[in-house]
Amino acid sequence: MAVYSDIDRGALHVRLADEAYPIGAATPAESYLNIERLVAVATRSGCGAVHPGYGFLAENADFAEAVASAGLVFVGPPAAVQRALGEKTAARRLAREAGVPVAEGSEPLAGVKAARSAAERIGYPIVLKPAGGGGGKGMRIVRSDAELADAWRGATGEAESAFGTSALFLERYLDRARHIEVQLLADRQGAVVWLGERDCSIQRRHQKLVEETPGPSVDEALRARLGAAAVAIARAARYENAGTAEFLVDRSGAFVFLEMNTRLQVEHPITEAVTGVDLVALQLRIAAGAPLPFAQGEIERSGAAIELRVTAEDPFAGFLPAGGRIGTLRMPSGPGVRVDHALESGTLVPTEYDPLLAKLVVWGGDRPAALARARRALRELAIAGVPTSLPFHRHLLDDPGFVAGDYDTGYVAERWTGREMARLDDGAAVAAAYVAAALLREPRVARGPVTNGVASAWARAAHEEALR
Amino acid sequence: MRYEVALGDRLLQVELDGSGRFLVDDRVVALDVVEIDRGRHWSVTLDGGSHEIVALAPDRLLVDGIAIPVTVTDERALAAGRSGGGVRSQRRELRAPMPGLLKAVHVREGDIVDAGAALATLEAMKMENELRAPLRSRVVSVAASAGAKVEGGALLMILSETE
Repeated sequence: MAVYSDIDRGALHVRLADEAYPIGAATPAESYLNIERLVAVATRSGCGAVHPGYGFLAENADFAEAVASAGLVFVGPPAAVQRALGEKTAARRLAREAGVPVAEGSEPLAGVKAARSAAERIGYPIVLKPAGGGGGKGMRIVRSDAELADAWRGATGEAESAFGTSALFLERYLDRARHIEVQLLADRQGAVVWLGERDCSIQRRHQKLVEETPGPSVDEALRARLGAAAVAIARAARYENAGTAEFLVDRSGAFVFLEMNTRLQVEHPITEAVTGVDLVALQLRIAAGAPLPFAQGEIERSGAAIELRVTAEDPFAGFLPAGGRIGTLRMPSGPGVRVDHALESGTLVPTEYDPLLAKLVVWGGDRPAALARARRALRELAIAGVPTSLPFHRHLLDDPGFVAGDYDTGYVAERWTGREMARLDDGAAVAAAYVAAALLREPRVARGPVTNGVASAWARAAHEEALR
Repeated sequence: MRYEVALGDRLLQVELDGSGRFLVDDRVVALDVVEIDRGRHWSVTLDGGSHEIVALAPDRLLVDGIAIPVTVTDERALAAGRSGGGVRSQRRELRAPMPGLLKAVHVREGDIVDAGAALATLEAMKMENELRAPLRSRVVSVAASAGAKVEGGALLMILSETE
């Protein structure tokens, strides 16, 4: 059974579902964030359980509570657990009490004055974070007092629209760190296991673009310490279902706990690729009360996997997102290649929602094999009609630093200038020049890819800019 | 007709003549072109090399998997461009880079702002984007107000470069 907003009436999940129910206008607050309407539809449909996905209300304790109160099973941790971990300063306290280190930081701040004095106490650089939720939304790195007011304004606004509360706190910001997270599963009988780590350091706007497992910088000893810390937090929170503990790890291998994501992660397929475990199936089993079918010692990982998040963003323009209508579309395939997406030629990419278009997940027997296969898959992939992050991914997979595993959360800011233009070889350039000239000669044809839909506003603006 | 084709940082002088011949730098190139999808998708072979081209946007081609910006100018436009001279306005328009909700406008007409100063906040695709001044500028006029839903490319304000 599926639900959809007005703009998603034609979406793939609606057509493939056995039953589909409208829940309101495209604006998230009126549909996908509308708890009352979602619960009413779930009740009316006669479904037994609600899976919240990994966006919108997936980490909303009020939603989990409303679902449970309606007599339905919520596929995820119960509301009380979500509350304990969802308020990020409470989660920090819980981690500290479980013996897991956290970065020096503050409680929720009353205003920009309180932020200023906390920042002076801790020392710049600091990072402002929403207390109400994670995932990188509303985060701002502040390197000096002069930047604080601007950052406060942006972060409160974004926190309010993302989480419904503008409360912020701050932490010392760790430069040159890697973002490494641990996948957890916990059943309702109290068993907790961890399924390895994921390095998610390649980010823009504090949101992930690329994830891989195993982390190229993680040795067995660090892996064991991270796993033990994640399990300790899960046990202290009486965690249930799938979850992820996120850490920042410095060059020496020292780490601090960041936050717990009380839901399935976007990047869960790379863990599935190396463990052979179907995480969503286990989520459903756990929610139904079944015990975990394996113990920690029975989990085997093999090979390496990488996920490239293909987004409708222009990497040459600061990863600015844009909507549009998909034109030519071709997805890669073959052994070890998985693409999670719902695109078809003609699909409208709305500007109302997150710009994630597709997840390219590639597995190989080891990291070099996975990267080689990912390069091949990228070569096969074609998406026309909206700008995409693909040029960045292509650059990344050829970058000697990334190939050597030498990268951290500063990668995009420091090593992607947005001007890296791949060069065409002579034959390709001649072929492309022919097509370009033929297109200009037949302008009716030239407009082919976009006249039947909504041209990318960004492309249009850039085009107009170029014409002036 | 002669054309100047810019592909990323490469510039090619090409010619498509009436009989369908294709010339690069005045030399005839033998291409075999199959249009896979009209106006969108081509296969081109030459000298045993196989190249695939997908039109991503009016100003971007995907060539053998590489997205590359492209501009084409025909000889008439080239001639017009030369006679038009190179007059450049000091005025800069700040336009919405994408459709969204204008959450805030941080400046008023007449304000002098430094390079990098936040001018307005545009919310789109669940993110707040600070639109910043590209140079030290004076705000000549403000064309949109906070709370407005704006289309991509909509004029938000006019700036003029200042000392």
